[in-house]
Amino acid sequence: MKNVMKNYRRSYLKWGGNVKKLWMIASANIKKHKSVSITLVIMFVVAALLLNAGLLVVLNYGSFFENLKEELNPSDAYFLLPDAIYSEKTERYFNENEHVKKAQHNDALLINCDILSQGKDKGYTVIFRNMDEQLEMTKWKFIGSHLPAEDMAVYLPDVFKAVSGYDLNDKIKLNYKDEQGEEKTLEFTVKGYTEDIFFSSTDTGLLSFYLPEDIYNQVSEILNDPVYKIHLVFTDLDEIASAAKVENSLRELLGLSSASLMAADVSELLVMIDVELVEMSRVMMASMIAVMMVVFAFIIVIVCLLVVRFRIVNSIEEDMIKIGSMKSAGYTSRQIIISLLMQFGLVAALGSLIGIALSYPVLPAVSRVFEQQSGLKWEQGFDAIISSVTFAVILVIVAAVALLAARKVKKLTPIHALRGESSSRKYKNNYLPLEKTSTNLSLRLAFKSTLQNFRQSVMILIIVAAVAFAGSYGIIMYYNTSVDTKAFAEVPGMEICNVMAVLNPQMDHEEIIGEIKNMANVRKAQYLDEVKLKVDGNDVSGYVMDDYAGKESKLVYDGHYPEKSGEIVLAGILAGRLDKKTGDTVTVAFNGNKEEIFTVSGLSNGSSMGGMNTCILAEDFIRLNPDFKPQILDIYLDKGTDAAEFVKILENKYDKELLRSVMDFDKGLAEGMASYQNIVAIMGITMLIITLTVIALVLYFVIGSSVIRRKRELGIQKAVGYTTVQLMNQIAAGFAIPVSLGVIAGSFLGAVYTNPLMSVAMQGMGVMKAGFIINPVWVIIFGAGTFVFAYLLSLAVTWRIRKISAYALVTE
Amino acid sequence: MIYNIIAKRIIIIKTKLRKAGHINLNTKNIILTTKDLCKNFRAGTQEQQVLKNLNINVYEEDFTVIMGASGAGKSTLLYALSGMDKITGGSVSFFDTPIENLSADKLAVFRRKNCGFVFQQMFLLDNMSVLDNILACGLLASRDKKTIVSYAKEMLEKVGLTETIWRKFPTQLSGGENQRAAIVRALINKPRVVFADEPTGSLNSASGKSVLDVLTEINNGGQSIIMVTHDLNSARRGNRILYIRDGVICGECLLGKYVSGDEERHEKLQAFLSEMGW
Repeated sequence: MKNVMKNYRRSYLKWGGNVKKLWMIASANIKKHKSVSITLVIMFVVAALLLNAGLLVVLNYGSFFENLKEELNPSDAYFLLPDAIYSEKTERYFNENEHVKKAQHNDALLINCDILSQGKDKGYTVIFRNMDEQLEMTKWKFIGSHLPAEDMAVYLPDVFKAVSGYDLNDKIKLNYKDEQGEEKTLEFTVKGYTEDIFFSSTDTGLLSFYLPEDIYNQVSEILNDPVYKIHLVFTDLDEIASAAKVENSLRELLGLSSASLMAADVSELLVMIDVELVEMSRVMMASMIAVMMVVFAFIIVIVCLLVVRFRIVNSIEEDMIKIGSMKSAGYTSRQIIISLLMQFGLVAALGSLIGIALSYPVLPAVSRVFEQQSGLKWEQGFDAIISSVTFAVILVIVAAVALLAARKVKKLTPIHALRGESSSRKYKNNYLPLEKTSTNLSLRLAFKSTLQNFRQSVMILIIVAAVAFAGSYGIIMYYNTSVDTKAFAEVPGMEICNVMAVLNPQMDHEEIIGEIKNMANVRKAQYLDEVKLKVDGNDVSGYVMDDYAGKESKLVYDGHYPEKSGEIVLAGILAGRLDKKTGDTVTVAFNGNKEEIFTVSGLSNGSSMGGMNTCILAEDFIRLNPDFKPQILDIYLDKGTDAAEFVKILENKYDKELLRSVMDFDKGLAEGMASYQNIVAIMGITMLIITLTVIALVLYFVIGSSVIRRKRELGIQKAVGYTTVQLMNQIAAGFAIPVSLGVIAGSFLGAVYTNPLMSVAMQGMGVMKAGFIINPVWVIIFGAGTFVFAYLLSLAVTWRIRKISAYALVTE
Repeated sequence: MIYNIIAKRIIIIKTKLRKAGHINLNTKNIILTTKDLCKNFRAGTQEQQVLKNLNINVYEEDFTVIMGASGAGKSTLLYALSGMDKITGGSVSFFDTPIENLSADKLAVFRRKNCGFVFQQMFLLDNMSVLDNILACGLLASRDKKTIVSYAKEMLEKVGLTETIWRKFPTQLSGGENQRAAIVRALINKPRVVFADEPTGSLNSASGKSVLDVLTEINNGGQSIIMVTHDLNSARRGNRILYIRDGVICGECLLGKYVSGDEERHEKLQAFLSEMGW
């Protein structure tokens, strides 16, 4: 024990001894360089905030969904069947199917309606459910406080509070058209908010409104038409992958197999959603954003570390004489290094603690953004483990960087330090001799300084390139989600048209198509159906088209769309699962009929059916299914044409017998993409703001330090007749060189690597090769703007040069 | 009260000097003139008056030496005359143009065109070669690079710095070489006046002598010089010695042009300095 104490004391003395004194030196240094310390603290605040928030989302958001699943016990899959196709036979099918372990049947009512949301009427598919029904699986729960059921009480999915802004006791109106096309309204009073796994987000198609039994009965009477009545069958399966098999067999049983996936008759629409699809839809976006946050946070942490290193090296040069006097007074190099460690450790600790603390109030804002898309209300409490990890990671890395940077102290002899001679500051090359160069003098001196401070210039270049990369990525994503949304809209793999008409396949379409094509403002109209196929034994969805040359959303990233008979395009995810590439062959079958060998002509993006989708020519599909008749007509309107108006025109012109339904695709697309667009746009803007903030902080910091370090040089220049403005321009121009190179490199890399990066991030969503629009003008404007911002900021920071007097130089 | 006494003493000394035939008849142009020049420094709550109502003239082509004990205010006077430092009161005129109210940037332009500086610590820029140090100053006032470069090289050779030396960085040279380079920098823009603040203060005697030789030579070529020193050997190079004590010029000695080995001149200076209590 005595030896242990002795060793401890020895190492205590070795590693600093008089800690209190060193602590005083460290805190005095912090006070002396207040503005520099404050800048560093701010940078660590930003880094810790992003890192902690990112880690909390990455590590906790996924598990939050898992916990929610455990709490609400969702079934593996649910089947939605219209009343018209639901019978005892169907019930028996579920009860007796070998893959179904347990089934729960619930009646519900379904309407398509418009609801006022954020000042606009938005289209929703709502199912009314009896909240008093006892549920064994797929339960739901209240979110926040709720009121007792009275009036026309309704308990809404939480998105209606988070996005649409409905408060308790607000009236909510559901405007719908009845079977006769008459406009009707259902009005309820909001009494609470709910959450469940399947029906809380528009992303998964349906939103569930829970009604007390008596009100549910009242609504059933109002919606007294079989078309509104549906059956929800929640099933636990032997494995989730069996859901498609169960669905296919059911389609066969109900005779729906020849129908397109988009049923012409709503009464024949069968929907199956499995819990994995829901999870992907509701968690993936958040996970993707969280990964971006963490990557971005690491960039900021690296920037902070570079700045810390720079600051320590500078601080050693600035305080050379002080170090000399400390050494001559008997302080060891180790003690001086420890005082530097304490100084920067304290700054990093303070910044990190504030950042971590701030990340908790910031998280609800992040959560609200996710909530708009996922419908999940994620409440994150304090997580001591993750926050401690964030804190420790930052401190350990800062300590390591500080130790490496402060090694220089060891090499300094007291006498050299007292003379203010830095052992490393020896100029060897006279870059750009003034005798041989001939531009503006300030520029020449700026270039010289950039080359002489090569390491510092490289550091600035790397920092600016890193943040400009993040910034240009942000601006590209903002452009794609807020300015030209075509590429973003194509992510799910849909063909983007303006109006989609579902025709009765049993009737002759020739006349109606001819008429539609000749209608005013119609640019084009073409069939594009989606059917079920088996490719190498896997259930997939298949797009069927006469001629893919007419397709406007080109999603094939390798090879080409089918051009001749026997060609098929596989979605990237499907090709990956089948281990197929362009030129390989696959067997394609429909409904157990004859199989045919197809050649893979290309691979495409697209998340339809979880990435299990294909494209084949109509002539090929007709061979596989001679009964096939195309029924989905994509209508393309002239730019600026109101699709909603066009839908009304079609509805008025053709009866339901011929034209089963018409959809305003523009509106549907806008509504469907809104939440994603919102998230990505917010993310893009945030990254842009953080980029500019970091550049501002780094420049403020580096230029500020540089002006202090070059005080003597600037004083001499002032003495011999340089004006403040000349010196400001000289310094700003010196920094402008690495800044401009960094901005160019970062923006270029952002432009080049945004798509590969998004391909990696969105592969799970079926985007194997992202094709986001890289608008060079926007990237150039961003780069130029960043550069101008950096230059003006440099000038502003160098304004302090006016305080450096030549006289002070000679009298100091 | 004390100022009155000092002022009276100055008048007495001037009268004596005039009688001895040493008084300049002021046939030369006045470069700089001060009127009631005051400079105060504030240390905490206390204000210290370093220059007290000085009225002096500096003449063209003169090698004016300002002498005095440490803290007498000689460097403060030099930097007040050169526009390097702001004055507290009175005025400083350069060829009848007041400079005390010029902005910092206008003063910088004024210095660039009219003044050359030689400092005790040389203050060359460590990150530039000797030649670049000179050109960075020369190209500031003139865009004629060819002329400036050739003049710089000519001057460097004149002060004994070879091409090998002017390609080097200041840290690679001796103190004397650096100071000679600093003199070339001071002269590159052909200033109306060169201000030298203890130019030999940090040099050994041999280097100091070579630097003084250069200054003497350029003065002989018509260059006006104002030099602050407390070194007798340096002061001997001047033709006009001003002695400052407690912020007041309390004596003036006219010596005529420097001639090496002129013992009579040396004795005269010593006598003046003894009289000043140096």
